[in-house]
Order: sequence, then structure tokens, then C-alpha cells
Amino acid sequence: MHELGIAQSIVEYAVSEAKARKATKVSEIQVEVGQLALIEKPLLSNALRMLRAGPLMEGCRFRVRERKASFTCRKCSASWPMKEAMKQLEKVPQDLLVREPDSKEVPLHFLPSLYPAFVRCPKCGSADIEVIAGEDVRIMRVVFE
Amino acid sequence: MTREAGGAEFIKLDASKKLSRVGRVILVGSGKGGVGKSLVACGLGLRLSERGFRAGVLDVDLHGASVPNYLGVRPPLSSGTGGLVPKEAGKLKVMSVALFTGDNPVPVRGAGKEGLITELFELTDWGTLDYLVVDLPPSTGDELFTAFSLFGRKSTLILVTTPSRGSLSVVSRLRRLAASEEIRVGGVVLNMAFANSGGGRIYPFGRADPRAVERELGARILAQVPLDPAVSAEGLRRAMAARGELSSSFDELADGVLKT
Repeated sequence: MHELGIAQSIVEYAVSEAKARKATKVSEIQVEVGQLALIEKPLLSNALRMLRAGPLMEGCRFRVRERKASFTCRKCSASWPMKEAMKQLEKVPQDLLVREPDSKEVPLHFLPSLYPAFVRCPKCGSADIEVIAGEDVRIMRVVFE
Repeated sequence: MTREAGGAEFIKLDASKKLSRVGRVILVGSGKGGVGKSLVACGLGLRLSERGFRAGVLDVDLHGASVPNYLGVRPPLSSGTGGLVPKEAGKLKVMSVALFTGDNPVPVRGAGKEGLITELFELTDWGTLDYLVVDLPPSTGDELFTAFSLFGRKSTLILVTTPSRGSLSVVSRLRRLAASEEIRVGGVVLNMAFANSGGGRIYPFGRADPRAVERELGARILAQVPLDPAVSAEGLRRAMAARGELSSSFDELADGVLKT
């Protein structure tokens, strides 16, 4: 659901930077999608291609890659990957899953910042955890001509 | 020749587009817990929607979300083409973190709170609103500054206090903070101002001199809301529908807000 809005923000940033630099073309944009942002890469790529219009963006290449998420516990200093967190997310009660037209999604799909409500440290059980990687969507590189 | 920009430019949700479809934002706060901010926010939202205004309530009290309870809405949420579909209490649109988490605690810290509040507002399909009422949490920290930052230019702060000395003292701190952040204060709600008992009025939190309260908080009292056990027993909507003193106090509040 976020993908189109994110794609619009990416293209708006690139276009504004191109204008500021008096560039004639944006030829490539590299984007890194954090795993916890729960953005679907194919949907984001499609949305970006849809927005590839106008003299500045025409023919622009998009490279979208995923950055793995990882967590750490402030209490016991354990760290763990998204795979472990997913095991916990599979246990979110049915009545908290957000209904989509043809599926049900965990709340984190919409509110990634909500992870402490559903993920606990697998070692000590604490909720005092933080994401150390893979939470954001970032523009890593824009190439202008 | 090619040139490059980049190096981890963060993508942030653009809440300004969504805000452009909101007429006014009414922030309901006190800085203090237990004075009835959520009840006031919900009652105001209900009354505005009953008067035909397109109204919504956004609950940003992340750690103590109680708006869904007051308004009788529950998970699950659903999503559509325009975003998350807010729950409805009558014609009042409602969004709260508790609609995602149910009875789970929300142990979010610092920057996570800013992200969460921005996501809650930005991802909800509010449509066009005349009024968005925002239920602020106690404290003057992350959530408050996020709300000031998100809604600042369109917002009016309504201060909620009980008549007690301790409450007034804390609320006056929020008043000063609002002034430093250039947030307009629209007025004061004196909540739990009295209760009816045995055919007369009692004053469980003391009897405040309204003029002294207005002087201390530097704003006009818009309404004095009674402590009404019917809210707990029957729910806010039914208690307000009874057209008693609780209901008329929210009429006064809505009148006051419309004039501010």
C-alpha cells in the first residue's frame, strides 16, 4: 500500500535535485529498501516505472535492493535477524490482522514502528528492543546527466 | 558527464498532502494524566460530527490509548485503495494505535514514537475533514512535539484540567510550552468540575474559581464538564445522548471551539 507514495517521494526528490543541479536527465536511481519497511520490491519497482515520465525522468533506470533487518535487545544485548522476528509475527492474533481486499496483513505492514508491540527478545523475552538495520527506505545514489 | 547525489537520503512520508485536506486541527492536551483528555477529545469529536461537520479523532496517546474504548470501536482494521479505513463512531472517523495492538502494550521509545504518529496520520484515509481532534498523551515529550510539528500551523490547543491545584499547576506548564512553540491556545475545559449527588452538586476535585483558572492559564474556560458515572456505565455516546448536563457541556465546548 505504501509503495506508490514512496515511489512518488523518490521521484520528487530526484527531480528536485536534478533541477537544483541544472541537469538535463536523471539516468539512474538506486534505492535500498529495509526489510522491516515491509515494502514489496516488485510493487515499488512497478510504481517507479509508472512515474518514469517527462523529459527529466524518461529512460531512468531504477535499482531497488533489499537490506536485511536485524534487532538487538537493550536488556541482554542479544541480536537476531528478521527471520526470528517473523516466527513471532506469525503468532499475531487473527483479530489484529488488517483486512485487505484479498488477504490479511500483520499491523507492521502499515506501521513498521510498531515492532516492539509484537516482537520480543528471543533470549530474555524483553520488549526493550531496537532495530539496528533494515528499517528505512533510502535513496543510495542518483545519477544525473 | 554524470553527476551523483545520494548517500542514504531517507524517504519520509509526506504528511503535508494529507493535512491539506483537513480544515482545522484541535489538539486536546493537559500535560497531566487522569484529567480526562480522551473523554473531552471524544466528546468534542462526537458533537462536531453530530452537527454535520466532517470530523475525525486521532489518538496519539501511544502508551495509554483509550479513544477506542470511549467510542466503542475495536480491531480489526481494514485497508482500501485510499489507505487504512478509519473506524466510525456514528459519523466520527477514529484512528488509534490500539486498533492495531488490541490489549498489547506499546513499548515504543523516542524516535519510534514520531514515526508511529506520522504513520498513523499519514496512512489513514481520512478523506476531507473539517475538524481533526487529536487526543494528546500526558507528558510534554516526543508525542507532543511530534503533534506540534505535524499539525502546528493548523492547530489550536485546548487545555484540559480538573479544578485541583495539582492539575492546574501541571497544565500551566503545557500552557507555557505552547507559547514558546507558537501553538495557539483556544481555551480551557474544566473537567470533573462537579458531580450530581443526592439532588445537589458535589465538588470531588475542589471548587475552582473560574476567573482564577482563566488568569492562571491565560485562556477562557469554554466548558465545565461534570463527572458523570453514566460514561463508565453506559459509554460516552449513550451518556451524551441523554441530553443532560454532560451533553450540554459538550454543546458549550463545541460552540467555543467553533468561535476560536
